[in-house]
Amino acid sequence: MSYRPCGNYHQYYKQDHAWWQTKFVWGKMILLFIAVFYLFPQFAGMYLISIANVVGYTILSAMGVQLLIGYCGQVTLGHAAFLAMGAYTCTLLMLQLHIPYPIAMVMGGIVGGLWSVLFGLPSARVKGFYLIMTTMAAQFLTVEFFITQYVSQIGGRGVAFSIPPGAVKIGPWMIKDDKDVYYLMVILVVLLTVIMANLVRSKIGRAWIAIRDNDIAAETMGVNIVLYKLLAFFVAGFFGGIAGAFWVTSLAAVSPEHFHFGWSLWLVGVILIGGVGSIHGTIFGALFMTLIPEGLKFLIFVLTQNPVFVDIMPFLPLLLEKFLFVKEAAFGLAIALFLIYEPNGISYRWWQIKNYFNLWPFSY
Amino acid sequence: MEIFLQLLITGILVGSIYALVALGWTLIYKCSGVLNLAMGELTLIGAYVCLTFYHWGIPFVLALFFTLVIGFILGILTEIIFLRPMVGEPHLAVIMVTVGLAFFFKGLVMLIWGTDTVVFSPPVFPIQPVFLGKVVVGQVFLWAFVASIILLVAFVSFFKFTKWGLSMQATADDEMAALSLGVNAKVVYALAWAIAFMAAGVGGTLLGNINGLNISVGYLGLLVLPAVVLGGLNSIPGAIVGGLVIGILQNLADGYLSRFTPGGVKEVFPFAVMVIVLLFKPYGLWGWVRIERV
Repeated sequence: MSYRPCGNYHQYYKQDHAWWQTKFVWGKMILLFIAVFYLFPQFAGMYLISIANVVGYTILSAMGVQLLIGYCGQVTLGHAAFLAMGAYTCTLLMLQLHIPYPIAMVMGGIVGGLWSVLFGLPSARVKGFYLIMTTMAAQFLTVEFFITQYVSQIGGRGVAFSIPPGAVKIGPWMIKDDKDVYYLMVILVVLLTVIMANLVRSKIGRAWIAIRDNDIAAETMGVNIVLYKLLAFFVAGFFGGIAGAFWVTSLAAVSPEHFHFGWSLWLVGVILIGGVGSIHGTIFGALFMTLIPEGLKFLIFVLTQNPVFVDIMPFLPLLLEKFLFVKEAAFGLAIALFLIYEPNGISYRWWQIKNYFNLWPFSY
Repeated sequence: MEIFLQLLITGILVGSIYALVALGWTLIYKCSGVLNLAMGELTLIGAYVCLTFYHWGIPFVLALFFTLVIGFILGILTEIIFLRPMVGEPHLAVIMVTVGLAFFFKGLVMLIWGTDTVVFSPPVFPIQPVFLGKVVVGQVFLWAFVASIILLVAFVSFFKFTKWGLSMQATADDEMAALSLGVNAKVVYALAWAIAFMAAGVGGTLLGNINGLNISVGYLGLLVLPAVVLGGLNSIPGAIVGGLVIGILQNLADGYLSRFTPGGVKEVFPFAVMVIVLLFKPYGLWGWVRIERV
């Protein structure tokens, strides 16, 4: 909840329910849409667009994790498994059965959701740490075993899952380069964010939040916790499946390495840094986690170009060469430090700043 | 039958290493309630430190001893820097700090030592296998077993008979009561991490001796999780038995099931067992059953 600016009153319930409540917010959102749909793809280079695609993919993938951890309190460390199910289902349907991409994508989402429910079933009995273990097992059983050993073998190893250029198209719109992927990504992100935001403020979302805050109390209040937990797993898996099916568009070939255990942990890290229990948090986290490593890489690159710095710090070229590992270490350190010093995440700061200016200059 | 015996004995020998690492894990959980997901990386660090010492020409036993010392120091440092500020925070936050640590340590290890497989050269243990009746066992496995058992006995007697061990048990049992009786909880937590680092380091060194050392040894460290779930999270005998059982099951699955699948059974079978155990016996063999009240 955030405060409204001074002197801004609501007279109807409809105003209370509205997404964008003030003229300022309307203006801001319209500007944002223009920027995202027109200005950015028009003026940004290919490199920036490809980074934006990674950000979008991270947002899409982390949205399900946010739902499970942030809203329903069911910790998942195996979300990459559901992404993988979505991606593989979509690719199989598209390439083997020649089903159009949008339908294949939705089917991927549904399969991801059902798969997620399968591994969410233990949540009826166990919770907390034990659930973490089950979802972790989901990761290993699905990606390392089921997909690597069985699904990848369909049609000979590696053959069925290399996506020929121009294979992905929605009606007449062929998704062939990063710019097309970017538009698809933006549409999907907006769509999923709206779905998620509306779910969270409905009866279902309130039930999830009740389960998160205290599941036993929620049960005594008449919330069917097994049903709602499984529903949360389904929706999260569905989002994951859609994200996986989306990422197919920018991959030349789908392979199990895209959905390893590290990626599951990365997604949890994204929402922790962005802020747990906040949709803004997912977006901030994804931005932070993608842009900071890129910035770091850029910084190291610039420093290596200048011989003065290389003289002072002779390990710089090595760092650039092994940047992947630097990134991993920096990510780990960032998670740990954020949790120690800023446990509410970036979105909490954002909320504070926003409210400060909403009530400015009379903040009491 | 011979195949079965062979698999069983190899399983027990490898399982003893898992038991050692699982013991360290359980210790942290028992004393401070932290679920440590960085155990695999602790094994990696210990293994690489020992390897470095060994390649400097230090005899293996001495290198192992130095590894223990370094593990002790690193464990205390980790606890003070990362875990102490998290006392009293929500469980998920603490777990995720250990996940962050896992990434951090892994990144550092790959940065410092690279990703290529390295072996202890010259080999620490003779290559000739030993015949136990009809069962053939590599000497590496046998020595690893002996080392694990020695350390297991040492750690368990540390808990049973020394002052610090007893204060760790007291903290695990009831933190409030222990504090009011004058147990220094900070020292206990730091000690738990130090011992976990030491145990993991030795475990990693032994595993590295068996198959060579690369980043995937850290994955073997993850196998302690099925082991501790099987034994019950806060039971030290449970961790030891769980480690042995997981070792045996892994080898049996490799021997009997891998012909029915394209491969990979050995890696995932412990996790499948874990899910089944969780479904039917969520508190493991000897874990404490918690009754939750609102």
